[in-house]
Amino acid sequence: MRIAAVAERRAPLTATRWFPLTVGALTIVAVGVIFEVLLRIGVLNRYIIPLPSEVLAAFERIVAEEGVIERTGTSAFEVLSAGFACIAVGVPLGVLLYRFNILRRALEDWVAALAAAPIVLAYPLFMVLFGRGSMTVIVIAFAYGLAPIVLKTVEGLSETRSVLVNVGKSLNLSEAQMFWKILFPSAIPSIFTGIRLGWTFCVIAVIGVEFLVNLGGLGQLINDLAERYDMPGTYASIGFVIGISMIFFIILEWVEKWLQPAR
Amino acid sequence: MGSVQTATRPGASLDADKPVLIIDDVYKTFGDAEEAVTAVDHVSFNVKQGEFVAVIGPSGCGKSTLFNIIGGMLGEYGGDVRIDGERIAGPHPAVGMVFQEESTFPWRSVIDNVAFPLELRGVAKSERYDRARHFIGMVGLDGFEKRYPSQLSGGMKQRVSIARTLVSNPRILLMDEPFAALDEQTRLLLGDKITQIQQELKQTTLLITHNLTEAVQLSDRIVVMTYRPGKVKRIADIDLARPRTSDVVGSDAFGRHVADIWNDLREEASRGMQESEQVARADRRRG
Amino acid sequence: MTMAAPVTRKVRERRETRQVLYVRLAVIFAFVAIWEFLSRSGWFFADIIPSLVSIAQALFRLLVNPAFWANLQVTLLEAAAALCIGTIAGVVVGILLGANRFLGAAFEPYLYYFSPTPRIILFPIMIMWFGVGLASKIALGALASFFAVALSTAAGMRQIDKVIIRVGRSFRATPWQMATKIYLPAMRIPVLTGIRLGLGNALITVLLAETKLSNQGLGYMVNTIYQRFDIPTLYALLIIVFIIAGACNAVLGYVARRAR
Repeated sequence: MRIAAVAERRAPLTATRWFPLTVGALTIVAVGVIFEVLLRIGVLNRYIIPLPSEVLAAFERIVAEEGVIERTGTSAFEVLSAGFACIAVGVPLGVLLYRFNILRRALEDWVAALAAAPIVLAYPLFMVLFGRGSMTVIVIAFAYGLAPIVLKTVEGLSETRSVLVNVGKSLNLSEAQMFWKILFPSAIPSIFTGIRLGWTFCVIAVIGVEFLVNLGGLGQLINDLAERYDMPGTYASIGFVIGISMIFFIILEWVEKWLQPAR
Repeated sequence: MGSVQTATRPGASLDADKPVLIIDDVYKTFGDAEEAVTAVDHVSFNVKQGEFVAVIGPSGCGKSTLFNIIGGMLGEYGGDVRIDGERIAGPHPAVGMVFQEESTFPWRSVIDNVAFPLELRGVAKSERYDRARHFIGMVGLDGFEKRYPSQLSGGMKQRVSIARTLVSNPRILLMDEPFAALDEQTRLLLGDKITQIQQELKQTTLLITHNLTEAVQLSDRIVVMTYRPGKVKRIADIDLARPRTSDVVGSDAFGRHVADIWNDLREEASRGMQESEQVARADRRRG
Repeated sequence: MTMAAPVTRKVRERRETRQVLYVRLAVIFAFVAIWEFLSRSGWFFADIIPSLVSIAQALFRLLVNPAFWANLQVTLLEAAAALCIGTIAGVVVGILLGANRFLGAAFEPYLYYFSPTPRIILFPIMIMWFGVGLASKIALGALASFFAVALSTAAGMRQIDKVIIRVGRSFRATPWQMATKIYLPAMRIPVLTGIRLGLGNALITVLLAETKLSNQGLGYMVNTIYQRFDIPTLYALLIIVFIIAGACNAVLGYVARRAR
């Protein structure tokens, strides 16, 4: 095709997708260098902003001394526990809402409203019920991640192309067969979008609760370092957490995109 | 109302034959080395004061590129486009553009749409509303000032766009197939409106179109372009009487002009068709 | 045939609306019943599930307590300030990233991937930079709302009908005129959606930051109430906060719908 003919000639480097991204990354690095210089010559206050070079050095330190790997494990465990619980409860709930249209029309708005509520604010209640440990974190994260999965499951099922449903009808499929062989497979991309959203909320909730209430894991690490006024360490741990969250999010997106062609 | 200037356009009382717009050996190529496509290939013609010139050609003849060059939308081009002696190197205040797509601002009422160019220039509200109302009346949309585009038909929306361009008092009105999206009857009637307005304002107009009957109905001269690379094949004089209405469409003279130009156009149009068929066949083989 | 059809459809619709109402009432009723049952059963550690009556009483006490209104004011002020700053910055950055393809490709992905991270952990940095008062919470809230607005605005820019932009250019509008008279009106719906999300983010972030470190605001109130172990009042406060969050969302949703 004509398009292929143009692509055969190698596109200039500036036109690829990675060039602007690299420019963006380099800009961020450049900002870091500017900060380093300004801090070293005393224009900016070192007690408020640590030297970027010290922050970078602190990464290694926090891994070695602060048990970052362990804590990542704790937080990851909490995220995945909450995450899988959300799927185990959310998908069936979504199916239920889809199956009984009345339930859907009555409750879908409420579920959406729940998604916007600041549940973390009720942390004292959760703590009284579930203690000052991982369980509380997992339950709160579960509460956060549930709504998107329910909503996207309902959406995915109801958006099954009607022609596919008609194929099923013409083959006289039973209701169970119709569900497992047509509706559910067709809804999987949507469900996974819901999982991506829900698990993202789980991460934010887990780290958030750990941080706000000092309940262990990576969130608490940030608190500890901040209280010790270890600025490079604090910045490094914050950067570490944000970095892992971004990677987690990117992975979720890749899997989601990989599932899309199935539609 | 007294502040509205219509009959006295700058230069109107001077030499009526002096060209307002000079297209001088204009060419434009897209793409680089291997994949270069010449859209416009050394085109030259003039538009005189008060004239209505149509540029007609098959799809792919570069007329839209020409429209963009004259409108200053394409920064670089070869050759010269001069308006009143100045080379066009960007959107020029003396050039008023009317686009092919529906281009009214959906969030503004009709009168706010039409007054827009004056608003940009900082004209006071009462004055710009006065001017706007004048042109709204001229395109036949009296009473619709407060309506919104979503409440108007396609033809009415295009009339709003035309009024909006006219309100800025351009030396030359440049239109790119403004009626392409409308049905035939609406076209003919709007064509009437355009002719009326043009004759009343003595507005110099350049119309890009692919519609032969429209071109003959409205213009004094027609520039016929070849298929890509676009050159001027011929410039035809349309000597139908003025003032003109859409009644002229049925006359013998009209038919002769149309047939005459169609002869030239047909050649180019079929070249265009052949080439696209070749491309489609090649694509099928490769793809 | 054609006469009977519309009649039955309307009847059906009305019946469905009634059914929806019944289901909702049933759910509420079931919830209340289970709640009261658990509350009086003594199964749960005392007062974790207080009777609805006590919650209602606490609600009234709260609403007549001037301290509540003072704290509410502080929280709303912080959220509003955060939203303003975040919106202005977000719109400006969004327009820049949306208008220029290279800038968008260079920086927008970073914004996009930074957005779903637990940004609340930036709070210690904000405290270092802005102190322990309102400013640090406003800064954090502004950051939270900035992302939603910037990303929505950038996406909105790309959806603008290109011909509208050409009209502006053909009339030689200045960049400021392009932004205020063309870009913003043309993308009012995505921008409003972004602001809605930004409001939710700002409010929640401000509340959570208050629970962490503050001596004012509703988040701070949550802490003091918990320290007193006054559970009914805690529920009452949470109910109010949820209602406020929901109301703000609904109001902005209404505004967005009216913007056609």
